[in-house]
Amino acid sequence: MSSSADAQFVEHASDKLPWSLWMRQIAAILRLEVKKNFLGRRAILIYLLALAPVLLMAAMAATAGGEISRHSGLAIIIFANIFEGFILRTVVFFGCAWIFMNLFRGEVVDKSLHYYFLAPVRREVLVTGKYLSGLLTSIFLFAGSTVGALFFFYLALGQSANSNYTFNGLGLGHSVSYISITVLACVGYGAVFLVVGLFFRNPMIPAIIIYGWEFINFLLPPVLKKISIIHYLRSLSPVPIPEGPYALIAEPTPAWLSVPGLLILTSLVIVIASLQIRRMEIKYGGE
Amino acid sequence: MAVYEHTYKPYAGKLTPEWSRFLIIPRHAYKDIFRSKLFTGFFALCFVGPLIFAIMIYLHHNINALLMLELRVRDLVPINAEFFQIFISIQGGLGFLLTVIIGPTLISRDLANNGLPLYLCRPFSRAEYVIGKMSVLMILISSITWVPGLLLFLFQSYLEGAGWFGNNLRIAVAIFLLSWVWIIILALLSVTISAWVKWRMAASAALFGLFMITNAMGIIINELFRTWIGSIISLSILMQTISDGLFGLRDSFDMDLNEYMIAPVWSAWMAFGLICALCLFLLTRKVRAYEVVR
Repeated sequence: MSSSADAQFVEHASDKLPWSLWMRQIAAILRLEVKKNFLGRRAILIYLLALAPVLLMAAMAATAGGEISRHSGLAIIIFANIFEGFILRTVVFFGCAWIFMNLFRGEVVDKSLHYYFLAPVRREVLVTGKYLSGLLTSIFLFAGSTVGALFFFYLALGQSANSNYTFNGLGLGHSVSYISITVLACVGYGAVFLVVGLFFRNPMIPAIIIYGWEFINFLLPPVLKKISIIHYLRSLSPVPIPEGPYALIAEPTPAWLSVPGLLILTSLVIVIASLQIRRMEIKYGGE
Repeated sequence: MAVYEHTYKPYAGKLTPEWSRFLIIPRHAYKDIFRSKLFTGFFALCFVGPLIFAIMIYLHHNINALLMLELRVRDLVPINAEFFQIFISIQGGLGFLLTVIIGPTLISRDLANNGLPLYLCRPFSRAEYVIGKMSVLMILISSITWVPGLLLFLFQSYLEGAGWFGNNLRIAVAIFLLSWVWIIILALLSVTISAWVKWRMAASAALFGLFMITNAMGIIINELFRTWIGSIISLSILMQTISDGLFGLRDSFDMDLNEYMIAPVWSAWMAFGLICALCLFLLTRKVRAYEVVR
């Protein structure tokens, strides 16, 4: 009687997915990886990259503060350009490429991935844990970088223009939008580079191709524009920036489509990464 | 032969001349590089540009072909300094991609596997080692930049007639010098990064990021501070400035640079010299048979 009850219990237990165990495992991986991401030697480059826009805006506030406060309308457009051209397309793109490609490729180079693979952890759980750790790091650094850049931009605007723009104008909404776009960029680029890091032994070539694709986005016809991350991020920008005389104009995707679209794409990419890692074999010798 | 007769005898065969010893490195490197079909395919693609440019030159001088294609001479791109500058820019871009693919592993493998003493214990100096490693890139990039560039120039001179060569000799000099500036900067940066960053992906990323990030930073600095300093921080604009100086053109790529953004040519040459000096300094620090860790 008791043995049949045990058998029933085991059967019942195996029907139910062990979510609590997976959550605990993800949390453990997250703790380990976040420490590595923030304190490892490879993090130095990312700190420098994240600091670059803040330093630039600080230098601007120090040298051209008066001019900016006089032409606040123009300054808002200039900031939008800096945000898209430098923060989004350069700092976040390269930063995410570095952080997320390192998640697996870095372990292979350090010859330490087998420790994870030998532990009783499902590989899908490992992918999720690592992705979340990369996401946390990138959001902290690059959203922080955006906040820093915004801080110095507001400082340059001067107190009266600043409070007027922030609280009576669109400033607060714009700031929230810029930070949200940075977070979404980390989510989107992170997922893409995680997969690239898993699929390719030398991920730089696909990274260059992705960079090229994102760079020529303004030249692409509307249908192809939608197969890129920058198109959705641009659609969310609070201050639209003209793409130049050679650009093919496409309707910006509304926010209610862009945001879930990016999130769905990210989930899909993580599922692909999970499927890929199940078949992954470690060959340290090839590195 | 009895064992006691096995005494030391120096190598009695023919020695490689001292001046060409560095070429041993590219010879072996090419065997390894061209084993990849993907790379061989990409390298072959690098010659499509010269072919297209040669056809464009040929069309200018073949009325029958123009009639067949229903084209007029004025519809074609004029063959002038800008034509050759565009050619070198395209080929230089391809050279950059070649460098990103093969450059990062040049020295890093030797350093990571302690292979440097094996080179330097032979009659082979550190300078020869570095030149040998750089020549892997130099020979490949030369074969897609100034060599076809000068061939195109000679082709145009031959078709156009005697006067054209003499009147446009500056273009030939510019093709040669610009290609070498590009080759030296790519080879030096790549070898330096390879010596300091042992991980291949990081080295490729550093080389690629160096061009892209400095470019974005340079433009932002120029715009924000209304200066030309950003133009010499950005490696791409720096190269364009040198190129414009050599070809005698101004803002040739229509980057719509404001007057204050165009850096003087001397400053671009100075920045180029500084980058080379910095790379050489870093290389001398790193390329040693043994690294003493205190």
